[in-house]
Amino acid sequence: MAEVPTYRTPEVITPTREFLDKMEEMWSDPPGIIGWLSTVDHKKIGRRYLVTAFLFLFVGGLEALIMRLQLAQPNEHMVGPHLYNQLFSMHGTTMIFLYALPILSGFSNFIWPLILGTRDMAFPRLNMFTYWTFLLAGAFMYIGFPTGQGTDVGWFNYVPLAGSAYNPGPGVDIFALGMIFLGISTTAGAINFIATMFRTRAPGMSISRVPIMIWGTLTANVGILFAVPAVSLDFFLLWLDRRFGTDFFNVSGGGHPLLWQHLFWIFGHPWVYAIVLPAMSIVSQCLPVHCRRPLVANSAVILATILTMVLGFGVWVHHMFATGLPVIAMGFFSAASFIIVIPSAVSVFAWVATIWTGRPVFTTAFKFFAAEIVLFVIGGVSGFMTAAVPLDWQLTDTYFVVAHIHYVLIGINVFPVIGGIYHWFPKFAGKMLNEKLGWWNFWLMFIGFNVGFFPMHISGLLGMPRRVYTYPAGLGWGDLNLVTTIGAFIFALGVLVFLVNVVMTLLRGKQAPANPWDADTLEWTTSSPPPHYNFGVIPHVGSLHPLWEDRLEQSDGRTVLHEGLKLDEEHEIPGTTILDAEADVILKMPGKSFAPLIMALLISGVFIGMLLEWWWISGAAMCAMFPALLYWFWPSAEVGRSPRESRA
Amino acid sequence: MSATRVEPRDLRRPLPIGSVGNLTPGWWGMVMLIATEAAVFAYLFFSFYYLQSMADNVWPPSGKPPLPYALGTTGALFISVFTVWFASNGIRRGIKWRIWVGLPLTGLIGIAYVLLQLVDWSVEPFAFNAGAYSSLYYTITGFHLVHTIVGVLMIVALLLWTALGHITSERCNSVRVVALYWYFLVVVWIGIMTTFYVLPYVTPR
Repeated sequence: MAEVPTYRTPEVITPTREFLDKMEEMWSDPPGIIGWLSTVDHKKIGRRYLVTAFLFLFVGGLEALIMRLQLAQPNEHMVGPHLYNQLFSMHGTTMIFLYALPILSGFSNFIWPLILGTRDMAFPRLNMFTYWTFLLAGAFMYIGFPTGQGTDVGWFNYVPLAGSAYNPGPGVDIFALGMIFLGISTTAGAINFIATMFRTRAPGMSISRVPIMIWGTLTANVGILFAVPAVSLDFFLLWLDRRFGTDFFNVSGGGHPLLWQHLFWIFGHPWVYAIVLPAMSIVSQCLPVHCRRPLVANSAVILATILTMVLGFGVWVHHMFATGLPVIAMGFFSAASFIIVIPSAVSVFAWVATIWTGRPVFTTAFKFFAAEIVLFVIGGVSGFMTAAVPLDWQLTDTYFVVAHIHYVLIGINVFPVIGGIYHWFPKFAGKMLNEKLGWWNFWLMFIGFNVGFFPMHISGLLGMPRRVYTYPAGLGWGDLNLVTTIGAFIFALGVLVFLVNVVMTLLRGKQAPANPWDADTLEWTTSSPPPHYNFGVIPHVGSLHPLWEDRLEQSDGRTVLHEGLKLDEEHEIPGTTILDAEADVILKMPGKSFAPLIMALLISGVFIGMLLEWWWISGAAMCAMFPALLYWFWPSAEVGRSPRESRA
Repeated sequence: MSATRVEPRDLRRPLPIGSVGNLTPGWWGMVMLIATEAAVFAYLFFSFYYLQSMADNVWPPSGKPPLPYALGTTGALFISVFTVWFASNGIRRGIKWRIWVGLPLTGLIGIAYVLLQLVDWSVEPFAFNAGAYSSLYYTITGFHLVHTIVGVLMIVALLLWTALGHITSERCNSVRVVALYWYFLVVVWIGIMTTFYVLPYVTPR
């Protein structure tokens, strides 16, 4: 029951071999299943996010390939309308909710503490909790599909089609509850990222020295904090309508179906930015490394990123132009949608200028980032076109919109993600991905993507509606669809080459040095892969480009890596002030814990009970959450929340 | 020129260990939880006013709601702002007995609020699924009710931890954080009170 001291003056040391061995021992997890289930190591969580999100990408991709086979020619009957509806619904929900954001969470979880010069996220257990809830929510959303009970009304799930009158089966209930479930994970993750940014940067990393990748993800997560509640609530109200006969969306009871669309798109449009801004910031972070110079107009890109998110909350009605809204409302939202082009263009010009004025090295990663710029411009222009109300009326619900969304989401999410994996694979796995296979990987994906998705613009202009399981001959759509299908398979082949590259590299790739790209940020000062403790002593950051200071000579600031604060009594990191990043506290980080897994399982219990209407399961799980949270938040000395040494 | 360069030795200074003082990670977590929960309520109010603006009939359809219980719950919650502040301010200044007065009182007021709200539900002339207005009424007050129950449970946890000696004037951040949550509950209640009980009485038909 010894008292814990309240203050300590940490020594400044140069770490020795014995000291680092001690740190490695202290920060590593116990072996076996216990360690696997109870770890809170951000690097392991990040890798799990990446692997799981990629699995969902492959599942969603297979669904897409089946649809493309079905649509390759007119009047095909490989799958019927019922299965086709489930395929496009599951494809959309999988890609948008279970792949696009979680993959970025994987990058951020892995890279953030390393690039910020610290040892963990602000809330390590919450971090593990977000992964478990993501995994369980993803599994939950898939429980209906194998038995033919998947949701079949598309990813935006419009009422009244999604109401119980037209859709009495469990598919929509699974989707609705799964989305609320997944929202818990997403929100908890957002809270964690924001606190990490504001509280745990290395000393000296003042607000002007924060790497741009952090800004993109931070902005997206602030948006998530205010956007996700709209969709969680929307799905909850729908579930009440379906199960308890409430009247939120029923016209006969005084409700309104457009309420669904408003709440959905108030979430939906910011969500688009949530899944592209972090990916754009990966490009902004990594592209300059392969161009051998800092990003052009770094501050302008950061401000444009933030402005995009802010404006992103004011454009949701452009998804609803065809619903018969007042003209003045459409005029306002149309103008807002045009304006958002300006901050988006800032990033594009900054990237182009970075390549133009740099000395590009044509690595696979560079190719993916450069391709992103091209695809972003094409996807941006098709979005800009549909911001005009009359054109939108013509094109809404046609394949033109399908082409647009795929140029945006594959162009600005998948391409930077694959490029980012080539870039950071030395940190993820300690190996270098093969550049020869990378060449095939890139060109197959790039050519396949454009062959597959560009013709969709034309079939859309020719009037082909989206979400039809087949179409009659003689409308002139057959050849375009055949080309699209061929392109889709070339693209899939490219993804397969990527997978082969990853597996081959893991098996027998060559060991990566600490900084193979000669990059500028702190994650490259650690070994490949980084040790469990990340940094033996915490760096003191002197500029925006810690490893390029001597050659850039932009300022006098010099980053100190070889000596720093000795924080070695259990899991410790410095907490720093928001603006100047001066160390003002020694934060005690929690180590391994089963609390996150227990909480995630209890939440699953609540949702399974709600789905089956076995209320006692939900009730019991909710009651069990109180002791579980009590255990989680127990004020032990280990986490620095109790004055006494005793453990709970 | 070298004045801007920082020597690591300059960093040496006494630092608090763990959750001491203001702006701990827990505080950040609670502020963001409140932000996202506030957004939930904002979207609920958006739904209410949107459907009201679209409604053909006059809202509330079943006439003005009964006031007595709502006035009771409002009064109770307003008093609880003071009691929870009394506890959190007291422990920060090292006056431990104020926790033992302030928190139990706040918890009891919370329980009284929950009971009063349930009574209020039982006297409402409409059911959960009797149209958009009643759906919104029960959902919004129900959300607030659940949040209040969570707040009461947080207070129970604080009392347990205080009894076990985990909360001192230096390490009292959990009390501050719960107080913050409690203020949020009351602010949301002001919105609910205004929407359901004040506006129907002051807006001309």
